[in-house]
Amino acid sequence: MIGIKDLKKSYGRHEALKGISFSIKEGEFYGLLGPNGAGKTTAISIMSSILKPDSGEVLINGNNIYSNPGETKKIIGVVPQEIALYNELSANENLMFWGGMYSVPERELKDRKNELLDLFGLTDRKNDKVANYSGGMKRRINIAAALLHRPRVLFMDEPTVGIDPQSRNLIFEVTEKLHHDGMTIIYTTHYMEEAERLCNRIGIIDKGQIIAEGTLEELKKNSPAKETIVVTFNNLDDQVAQRLFSSRKNSKRSGNTIYFYTSDLKKDLPPVITQCQEAGAEINQIEFQKVNLETIFLSLTGKQLRD
Amino acid sequence: MIKLALKDLKLFFKDKRSVLVTFAIPIALITLFAFAFGGAGKSGGSSKIKMQLSDLDSTTASYETTKIFDSLKSILVLVTPLEQALENIKKGKQSCVLIIHKGFSDSLSSGKGLPLELQYDEAKEIEVGLLQQSLISTVASLPFSIGDPKTSMANRFNNMVKDAPPGLQKDIQNSSDGLFDLLSEGFAQDSSVPQKTQKNIASDFLGGDIKMTKLIAAGDDNKVGLVQAVAGTAVMMLLFSVVGIGMGLLDEKQEGTLKRLLYTPMNPISILFGKMIAANIISIFQLLIMFLFANLVFGLDIFSHLGGLLIMILATSFACSAFGVLLASFARSRQQVQGLSTLIILVMSAIGGSMMPIFFMPAFMQKLAIMSVNYWSIQGFFDIFWRSLSFTDSTFLFRVLVLMLIGLTLNTLAVVMFKKNILNLN
Ligand SMILES: Nc1ncnc2c1ncn2[C@@H]1O[C@H](COP(=O)(O)OP(=O)(O)OP(=O)(O)O)[C@@H](O)[C@H]1O
Ligand SMILES: [Mg+2]
Repeated sequence: MIGIKDLKKSYGRHEALKGISFSIKEGEFYGLLGPNGAGKTTAISIMSSILKPDSGEVLINGNNIYSNPGETKKIIGVVPQEIALYNELSANENLMFWGGMYSVPERELKDRKNELLDLFGLTDRKNDKVANYSGGMKRRINIAAALLHRPRVLFMDEPTVGIDPQSRNLIFEVTEKLHHDGMTIIYTTHYMEEAERLCNRIGIIDKGQIIAEGTLEELKKNSPAKETIVVTFNNLDDQVAQRLFSSRKNSKRSGNTIYFYTSDLKKDLPPVITQCQEAGAEINQIEFQKVNLETIFLSLTGKQLRD
Repeated sequence: MIKLALKDLKLFFKDKRSVLVTFAIPIALITLFAFAFGGAGKSGGSSKIKMQLSDLDSTTASYETTKIFDSLKSILVLVTPLEQALENIKKGKQSCVLIIHKGFSDSLSSGKGLPLELQYDEAKEIEVGLLQQSLISTVASLPFSIGDPKTSMANRFNNMVKDAPPGLQKDIQNSSDGLFDLLSEGFAQDSSVPQKTQKNIASDFLGGDIKMTKLIAAGDDNKVGLVQAVAGTAVMMLLFSVVGIGMGLLDEKQEGTLKRLLYTPMNPISILFGKMIAANIISIFQLLIMFLFANLVFGLDIFSHLGGLLIMILATSFACSAFGVLLASFARSRQQVQGLSTLIILVMSAIGGSMMPIFFMPAFMQKLAIMSVNYWSIQGFFDIFWRSLSFTDSTFLFRVLVLMLIGLTLNTLAVVMFKKNILNLN
């Protein structure tokens, strides 16, 4: 359905995409997981043909998007990262307008609009100005506006940023339903839980490059880090923590807890305990965790997904 | 495109401030200016006043007279055939013509009243009034500067008492000569009073005399001040409101809706065309309301000039909305447009005659005026309401053409700038 080959894009001197390639099958739910500034939005903008790459190729449904953008755009829906709606118009008016932009016939558009308002739980507020909506409601309309023309391919660029858990869950449910109904979805996020829950396949992107790709299982299997040793201390002061970090690079601290990432638990556990004692820290509890996307990302890049 | 325009209109009317700028403020200003200009203002110009001159007498005397007028500092004489001169006035290119009628030479030598006539456009009453002042004293002294002062004076006296018996006429002649000599000598001898030449003496006796004819007389309905107030204000405020529409473009860029529009299958340039359509519709609507207001409140007769008025409204809207859209496609931010547009609009309005009738201004300013949109449409509205030109008249059509060309040029430029500035997301 979607094929991307060696996309490169620079803004001035800054290389935002350093040649990314991937392909997505029809009906797949593909996640692009990466931290701020990784190049997710840039990639989406290029794939939806509003930004020209410096080099590389994008095929959607077999068509090069730049040879016939008008036709390709008809089957694409884009949920932009920023809420892009007319604040002074109501949800109703916004949806009617955006649907109209895709030339959805009036009658059909009205039905579809009501269906989406219902789906996103906004029917009773449909005549209010968007300006008066909560962040979560705006996010929901922002998504709905991309669905009026029943796109076959949907790009969602961080659709859940800064919203309440309730709205987030609703968005997950709707997205899963769309996927279930056969829509091909590309979903960018920097929340690993979202990628884990929603996506069939995940591409991990950092500094304009895809550094790992596959299903969750594949990623875990191929990850250098396999497990996490979670050590909680009675009292951890900064000096002690510093000393521990210098001997163990693959670790992170959260309050009185330190996470040590390891590819071989049996081999690494004894030295970790010894080092803790040598550093003068009093261990309260030790736990073991299976690897997740967060640990995979950390082991690949040496930094966390979110700061 | 239509959907885009409708959306823009919807947004426009939801924004109370732009509605206020578009309708309420101009109405208030029109009212203000209508009262201010209503009674026509005071004199202003310090430059030469242009006066056409048609010599129907074609004698040495009339030629000499023309030369005398031409030598006056305050007047620029344009010798023009009468028919042409009248045409010029009707079309508003010139404000008056001084006609030297046949028999001028004879009247001059026989001391009769001089057959001089000044035909003028009442719209230019102030200007012509100034002209008249300079003309009268010159005319009064004509018999003496061209003919023989002494004889002229005697003839003039005799003319005043035409029916006197021949004996009395002779006496008058003698007395006049005596008086003339007496005065000349008297002034010459006494150095304590300012010296007066023989010419001056005669002029003191005889007032100059020009027949004034209004070529274009103002009907009571369409006062020049009112047309000025309505047309001037309407065009200026129109510019402000179309800039508002244009700025919508920058809002869309900032709000991200522009980007979202680009995701849709629509051709990007129709975003701009949508804005242009919306700006045109609002402009037309605004101008219609302004003139309707002038009709209802001040009794401006719009209905007998409907054809021309509508054409002018369309042309003005086209040119002005292009201006607004262009400004927006040039700028990077809303603040930038705001500052830039206010400056440009105020300057254009000032030189184009939105704030002050253009004939109040010095000549070089009047030349600058043609650089502004305001000039062409205000003159167009004057053509309609003041000069009562029909909309097929070439002068009027020329102004329409200029406005259309301005609109076309600005729109084209806007398209180029839009592609370069707005669509460029890098
Ligand atoms: N218009 C632009 N001009 C210059 N640099 C840009 C522009 N857009 C993005 N960049 C830069 O390109 C890089 C990638 O940006 P991009 O928006 O694609 O990241 P992202 O993965 O979407 O990040 P986020 O999670 O913050 O949305 C960043 O370093 C950013 O600063
Ligand atoms: Mg982004």
